[in-house]
Amino acid sequence: MSTPSVDWMTPWDGGTLPGGVHVGENTCIIGKAAFRRFRGQLADALVIGDQATMDGVQFSVGPAGRITIGSFCCFTGAVLMCELSISIGSYVLIGWNAVIADSDFHPIAPAERILDAVACSPAAREPRPKVLTAAVVIEDDVWIGPNATIFKGVHIGRGAWIGPGSVVTRNVAPGTRVAGNPARPMEES
Amino acid sequence: MSRTIPGDWHNGYIPNNAVVGDGAYVQTSWSFQLCRSRRDQAITLGENSSVYMRCMFDMGVEAQLIVGAYSQVNGLWLICDQSVTIGTHCLVSWNVVMMDNFRAPEDIPSRRRMLEEFAAGRDRRLTPAIKPRPVVIGNNVWINFDCCILPGVRIGDGSIIGARSVVDGEIPPYCIAAGNPARIIRFLSEKEDSLGRHNQT
Repeated sequence: MSTPSVDWMTPWDGGTLPGGVHVGENTCIIGKAAFRRFRGQLADALVIGDQATMDGVQFSVGPAGRITIGSFCCFTGAVLMCELSISIGSYVLIGWNAVIADSDFHPIAPAERILDAVACSPAAREPRPKVLTAAVVIEDDVWIGPNATIFKGVHIGRGAWIGPGSVVTRNVAPGTRVAGNPARPMEES
Repeated sequence: MSRTIPGDWHNGYIPNNAVVGDGAYVQTSWSFQLCRSRRDQAITLGENSSVYMRCMFDMGVEAQLIVGAYSQVNGLWLICDQSVTIGTHCLVSWNVVMMDNFRAPEDIPSRRRMLEEFAAGRDRRLTPAIKPRPVVIGNNVWINFDCCILPGVRIGDGSIIGARSVVDGEIPPYCIAAGNPARIIRFLSEKEDSLGRHNQT
């Protein structure tokens, strides 16, 4: 057997949690890269409930971003990109390499995108222009497959099933199974 | 044979129940840290096959993985609870997820129970609550980046799966399939060259 060296008893095996991060009882975050892109400024920038496992998850949180995650969640290798708000319920499972984002990353308008490219460059002087954001809500008992992508403004209802590799751009009703790019309800089989 | 890899960045070793064929290359022992198969021969890497850095073999106690000779596995995220077989001369790109089991049950009360047991467990490993369906990839198959290969999939010899496809069910031999869900784009002739010309000889 290969040697797993993970300490499941500490909240984060990478050291002390950054300010604004609060985790409940027996919740653990695994992976040194978890907070490499964490720039959250809010006092509750990331709040996770009890008994959750965040294995290899990257919390990419902007200054105004707020992520809340319920209890008994299990995420492996997911990337959460939050500039505004991502709220996730309890008993949610997220597979490898899934991405959840609540913003467009860059402006849509070409002229603003030029300003953004400059503001992101090594020669940056001005702050970045505003980027569109819309909160993402994922209710309890949702299953999100590996390589799935959830984009801004999406509300996924309780108990929904998001197929592997899906690209979700619209709301998903509770208990629905969706798949594809863009994700659509699957035919009953 | 030494079970550590010279120059490995991860402080681990290749498990004793992995058989590495002559000339096969394994980049890092990190790929095996989630392998808890108790089979005598859990992993078989064929001769001159290669397993690169971005592979992670998450294998349950009964699991068996076979990679055929000369196959190159670049970045395979494997979930295997029973059996995944990759033929010879296959090319598997980065971020390919291949699973013979979704592990989480569909009905919500049993899924909740599974997550509660998982959080209480000492090593936090998901105990599969549903039956696996083996995955069989033929010989000379090329799977492009970011694909998902779902439980029960069979892909025939010589086929190509386009980038970011999601494959569910069966893909016949010698075709190009792509999309989410993956569909057949066209068939390939065993004898055609890259310009689509048929070899007369």
